[in-house]
Amino acid sequence: MSAEPNPLPPEVRLEVSGIRKQFPGVVALDDVSLRLRAGEIHALLGENGAGKSTLIKILTGVYQPDEGEIRLDGSPVRFVSPRSALAAGISVVHQERNLIPQFTVAENILLERIPTRGLQLVDHSAINRLARPWIEMVGLDAAPATPVVELSVAQMQLVEIAKALSLQARILLMDEPTAAITPHEVGYLFRILGDLRRHNVALVFVSHKLEEVFDLCDRVTVLRDGKNAAADVAVAGLDRDRLVTYMIGRAEVIAELPPKPVPGEPMLELAGLTTEGGDAVLNLVLRKGEVLGVYGLVGAGRSKLAKTLVGEVKVTGGEVRVRGKKTRINGFREALEKHRIGYVSEDRKQEGLILLHSVRANTSITIWRHLRTLGQWIRHSAEDAAILPSLRQLDVKAQSLSQSVGTLSGGNQQKVSIAKWLAAKAEILIIDEPTVGIDIKTKNALHELIWDLAANGKSILLISSDMPEVIRLSDRIVVMRNHAIVGELPNTHQYDEMSESIMARLS
Amino acid sequence: MTRLRGLAPGVALGLLLIDLLGMLVLSVVTPSFLSTYNLFVTGRDLSILLLVALAQMIVLSLGQMNLSIGSIGGLVAIIESGLMVRYGVPVPAALVAGLLLGIVCGVVNGLLVYWTKINSFVLTLGTSYVFAGLNLGITHATPFYHIPGEISAFGQARVGPFPVMAAVTVVLTLLLAGFLYQVVLGRQLLAVGSNPLAARLSGLPIRRATLTAHAISGFLAAVAGTMLMAQLGQGQPTIGATWVLPSFAGPIIGGAALSGGSAPVLGTVLAMVLISLIDDGLVLVSADPFWVQFLIGALILGAVVLGRTRLSEIRALLRISPSATRRVGSIR
Repeated sequence: MSAEPNPLPPEVRLEVSGIRKQFPGVVALDDVSLRLRAGEIHALLGENGAGKSTLIKILTGVYQPDEGEIRLDGSPVRFVSPRSALAAGISVVHQERNLIPQFTVAENILLERIPTRGLQLVDHSAINRLARPWIEMVGLDAAPATPVVELSVAQMQLVEIAKALSLQARILLMDEPTAAITPHEVGYLFRILGDLRRHNVALVFVSHKLEEVFDLCDRVTVLRDGKNAAADVAVAGLDRDRLVTYMIGRAEVIAELPPKPVPGEPMLELAGLTTEGGDAVLNLVLRKGEVLGVYGLVGAGRSKLAKTLVGEVKVTGGEVRVRGKKTRINGFREALEKHRIGYVSEDRKQEGLILLHSVRANTSITIWRHLRTLGQWIRHSAEDAAILPSLRQLDVKAQSLSQSVGTLSGGNQQKVSIAKWLAAKAEILIIDEPTVGIDIKTKNALHELIWDLAANGKSILLISSDMPEVIRLSDRIVVMRNHAIVGELPNTHQYDEMSESIMARLS
Repeated sequence: MTRLRGLAPGVALGLLLIDLLGMLVLSVVTPSFLSTYNLFVTGRDLSILLLVALAQMIVLSLGQMNLSIGSIGGLVAIIESGLMVRYGVPVPAALVAGLLLGIVCGVVNGLLVYWTKINSFVLTLGTSYVFAGLNLGITHATPFYHIPGEISAFGQARVGPFPVMAAVTVVLTLLLAGFLYQVVLGRQLLAVGSNPLAARLSGLPIRRATLTAHAISGFLAAVAGTMLMAQLGQGQPTIGATWVLPSFAGPIIGGAALSGGSAPVLGTVLAMVLISLIDDGLVLVSADPFWVQFLIGALILGAVVLGRTRLSEIRALLRISPSATRRVGSIR
């Protein structure tokens, strides 16, 4: 953070300094700086809420900073709208896909400047012709006239990159581009980003995966609580611990998980199961007190498997055995009431919780039926007595039971969505992506909590695309690919060894 | 390729078969179905209701809705007939004024939705009362009789069994399809409906798209109102009062998504043919007139449910088709 009025070195393309952005009640960014050079990949790191997305929105003209300066090629600029940032050559590939699914690849690339011939008529052949070079540049193997809905997630990402390049982007911001693609695709994406670096594009790479930062990036800026924890540091001189310390303000302590009893009798068995959702033959056994990890990428059919177990997807063949007895599961209610199976959805905000409702209502929703008195009333005292043990067990931090769940932190929301199943005395918990969107500190706490639940006799099916998480927590790991279980591995908890054998099953 | 996809070929093919089957059944069961008079009357109803359905479809494609289509049609019809009957305004001038009024009503809807960001359901429910209220205030529920003869003649004109007013509908339908699939503003409109955030971040003109969709909706409602006035031979204040159900049934059976982004013109046309067949069939088999509304409602609901199931099944099939799964994981 130099304050001297030195002339900018020639290679600096974008210099952001002293940025402050305040929202009602929160200072999102405070005296933040960022320096991007042509031909460099710059990692932007920080935990959730550290201010990364606010900074990106400022760079792309969605927000205006309250204070501070943005200099592009040495001269001060202001981006008053997404359009003006685009015009200055700054493009962003957002975390959410920003494509029009029904439109073709080519139309999406040229969306804001569709070529016409007279009378504003769309010139379809010109669209395909003009888009083709960009499609080839990013190595996308799809015809320009392919509708985007038919592409894989990774391919859609390439379309977005192609679109950014076609806008003559000299600065390309990538917001968590590897969150939903396979390791193989990540490798390919990195090669393309490497090419762009050689073509003198300034790249910003936002990621949670530190390994990727070391693989790909030249320099790094870390935000913590809206301030620079590190500004423009060379990656070469860093190690993982150092980077984590920047991010969370102290060294990461991953406590060794305490030993837990050897898993007991089978609680849940699938034998040759096929489903309406297109799952191939599925076989697995989940024992009492066991954490069974299900690893697979987005789209591998993991969530479909979970939904099958709670009766949301119809079984077309094979057997489900719960506690050794052959059975059928018809819907959530039966799964819970009869089989004591609870499902913690990966989509907390949409499926797991009712954000506007209180902690109390969200936790007791599974047991209202049992709490009601003769007149269909529910007494708060009985309700609280039923839910408090689970909320305490999980150490949920809320001001009161009446606080609305939407105002809790992500970690506490996740705890509430687990607590509701504990309150209902679920013995088998299917936990789908428990730490998506949760920061490192809380992630460890949730890991310990899941481990603890298993140590206390719950059976846990842990579905995750986070490999370190699966390897840390699972007793055994099954790997899913294309809606089928392609391998089952005993877990040695050795990351390098396990990740290699998991990858081997994936390719 | 794009164009076919926009027309939702899967749904359209199914509807086409059902339509053909329906025609076959009706012509066997009641020979009078094929009579010139019956075809003329049915075709005329279809010409009007199709415009009503398209007026809804264009707004649905934006992910919004327009509950004021009927009251716009009614208001336009009585303004046109009032101008001609009461003030002796020449026919072309009265019609132009009426159609412009329809566009203005649509633009008012669009501006309100764009400015206030309030859900279009609530806003157009409100404006529908405003437009219908104007209608009632002006007419005191009394029709304007004795509209100029050339208008009523147009309403009765036919070439063989084909009503002349169908030509208007055919032309407008083709123009609308061309606009949505071939004109930049039409494509932008679909893009905004499909993914408003992406459209905004790409710098597309959201306001222009919103206003255009609502203006087209108002215009089509106005044409439908004018045609019904011509058919009835008078400016009836009740014109448009029963249009809400058909306006939604057409696009929805035709494959439109309420969330926006799809504009199945062909599907809507075929769905309206089906609805006309249901309508006509009930008349031909002399269903008890007091039960006709019930039967139409039930049959349309049935068609909607049928259309939805089929669509979702097709989608499920697409998602798990071997080629689709194989794509995941291969990038080169």
